[in-house]
Amino acid sequence: MAPRRGTTRRDFLKTSALAAAGLGLAPGLLRAAELKLKKPIKIGCQTILSGPLGGYGEFMRKGTVLAQEEINGHGGIGGSPIELNFRDEELKVDVGVKNARYFVQDWGADFLIGIDSSAVALAVGEIMPSLDRILIVTHGATEKFNEDLVYKKHIKQCFRVCVPVYQDGIASAFIAKDLPVKRWATISPDYEYGRTSWKMFRATLKKLKPDVEFVGESFAKFGTVDFSSHISKVMGLAPEGIFSTEWGGEAVTMIKQAKLFKVFEQTKAFMVAMGSAMDVLQGLGADYPDGIWASGRYYFGYPDTPENKRFVETFRKRWDTYPSYPSETSYTALYAIKKAVEKAGTLDIDPVIRALEGLELSRPAGPCVIRKEDHQAVYAVPWGRIKHDPKYPMPILGDLRIAPTSEYYRHPPFPPVEV
Amino acid sequence: MGHALLFQGIVGLSEAMYLWLVAAGLSLIFGVLRVLNFAHGGLYMLGAYFAFAVSRASGGSFWMALLVGPLLVAAVGWVMEFGFLRRVYRAEVSVQLLLTFAFVLIFDDLVKLVFGPVYQSPPTPAALSGAVSIGGSVLPVYHLFILGVGVLVGLGLWVFLERTRFGLVIRATAADREMACALGVRSSRLFTWVFVLGAWLAGLGGALSMPVRAISPGMGEFIIIEAFVVVVLGGLGSLRGAFLGAVLIGLLHAYGILFLPVFELALAYVAMAAVLVVRPWGLFGVRET
Repeated sequence: MAPRRGTTRRDFLKTSALAAAGLGLAPGLLRAAELKLKKPIKIGCQTILSGPLGGYGEFMRKGTVLAQEEINGHGGIGGSPIELNFRDEELKVDVGVKNARYFVQDWGADFLIGIDSSAVALAVGEIMPSLDRILIVTHGATEKFNEDLVYKKHIKQCFRVCVPVYQDGIASAFIAKDLPVKRWATISPDYEYGRTSWKMFRATLKKLKPDVEFVGESFAKFGTVDFSSHISKVMGLAPEGIFSTEWGGEAVTMIKQAKLFKVFEQTKAFMVAMGSAMDVLQGLGADYPDGIWASGRYYFGYPDTPENKRFVETFRKRWDTYPSYPSETSYTALYAIKKAVEKAGTLDIDPVIRALEGLELSRPAGPCVIRKEDHQAVYAVPWGRIKHDPKYPMPILGDLRIAPTSEYYRHPPFPPVEV
Repeated sequence: MGHALLFQGIVGLSEAMYLWLVAAGLSLIFGVLRVLNFAHGGLYMLGAYFAFAVSRASGGSFWMALLVGPLLVAAVGWVMEFGFLRRVYRAEVSVQLLLTFAFVLIFDDLVKLVFGPVYQSPPTPAALSGAVSIGGSVLPVYHLFILGVGVLVGLGLWVFLERTRFGLVIRATAADREMACALGVRSSRLFTWVFVLGAWLAGLGGALSMPVRAISPGMGEFIIIEAFVVVVLGGLGSLRGAFLGAVLIGLLHAYGILFLPVFELALAYVAMAAVLVVRPWGLFGVRET
């Protein structure tokens, strides 16, 4: 063999192995040992696929399918291919529970992933012991999931691979403390997620910067099509900064209307915890005001690692769009399952739970470990400011800031949040 | 305080105008055709998408979008009535509901196929993206514009129904269908035109929402529920009732957010229940004898 060709091939292998290393792709390339598991391995996925937030769930589906195609193309999980089934969660507790039961009892799912609503995540989490399956949440962000369900109630079947509300409520306060704002107000969703984020934000910021004031709040129900009344109420309180956890199409509408009300001229800072999700970036496009602080549960421009670049490139090639964060978290969920099952060598629940506990992943979002105590994946996601760059078809984040995970992730024994 | 009250009221009224346009069509169609059109929210959504497509095709012209978008929805309305609905007028109510509900699902999936599941939000037209100051509070010009359009459409409908021959025929048919037919009204043609007008109104509401609300498949779901509340509150088939119902719901919504945020969600339904207890036929509805 010509030496030159050998080098190329070795280079190729080296890069692929490097790119795929932590995610467990490497064993796939070398054809994982046949585990003689039943075939195929069925994963039931639920996310919001209809209504004004349906564009959001579409990104979850794309990430999951991409991981499935990659894994199956490289020998599956220990020789067994992955089979997926998607159902619309509708963000309703009864629908979510029904989906979970259908997946396990009728369809024969081995694993469940997905779930956008905190309330649905809690309800489905509660029934996982009776369903005797592992659930990996990819979006629902309530801290009650890891702190109460897993840590306090010992429901070991529940895991989560996305940052919880610590990103929205605590990391945000680390950004806010350096902003020239003393009077804060919020426009946020009127449910668990919106209320907890605002509570954590206030509690954390008060500690970091004791002279701040929280002058008002307006919570918008799910399905709000117009934010005008919320904006006029909050602006009547003369805040200097607005913090929001609106997401999906509701975030798009809120920001558009805030722009009409000249909120960005009248305030010094505007923070949108889910504002860097791809559906919001693409939805607002040229209309997205520069300088808004935004974050998510993953941002495609961070970190600058080969794993992330490879993920963004393959995702774009497959779907002709940049990945949003549910794409990354669901993609990671499938690789976490693959790695844990191959480590455990079986589909039995207990050994796979033990394999997932403490599992290290170098996912697109960066190095990450699934904490044993509360089954929460720990990794850092940046906050940044919206800017427009002609190199990209949508607005992007600049001025990235990362709070250390040791500071913004809450730790066992999880003392109550007090404002 | 007085100022905050007044300002919140203006904002609430402007939000009410979208609801009024949708409820007007819904009420008109029910009044004459006796069909509860579940797909009316879908027509509102189509109004937004058609306006978006026209605006994109015409290099971002909002006025062109506002003119052509609702007309395209009216054309869809014509197909719905002429091709489908008129076949079920004599059928049971459940058949009519199923048929219109089928259109909801078809419209949602069609826009998803054509425009994708992502949110669209074309920029607000420059001429309307300014703001005026009302005693120190900033009110978007667009909100004044929508108020103006809502009131103009209301006046236009009033003149049309009260002062034209066609309006007279519509009112006569709504009041007593058999008698109108006996007197020579061609009800089948009349029904088509009323449905087309109703669809145009929903399309206009959607087109007006295009530059200020995120457009997405399923966006009609939320407005249709409120529109039903408005129509029941105001009285099925009464346009005056639909207007005042929309204004009432808009104000309850805006003031609910200001004063009773915990209870805001329930206010519209409490109002509806209260009206139904006292006047089961709605504020301006006609008592069935």
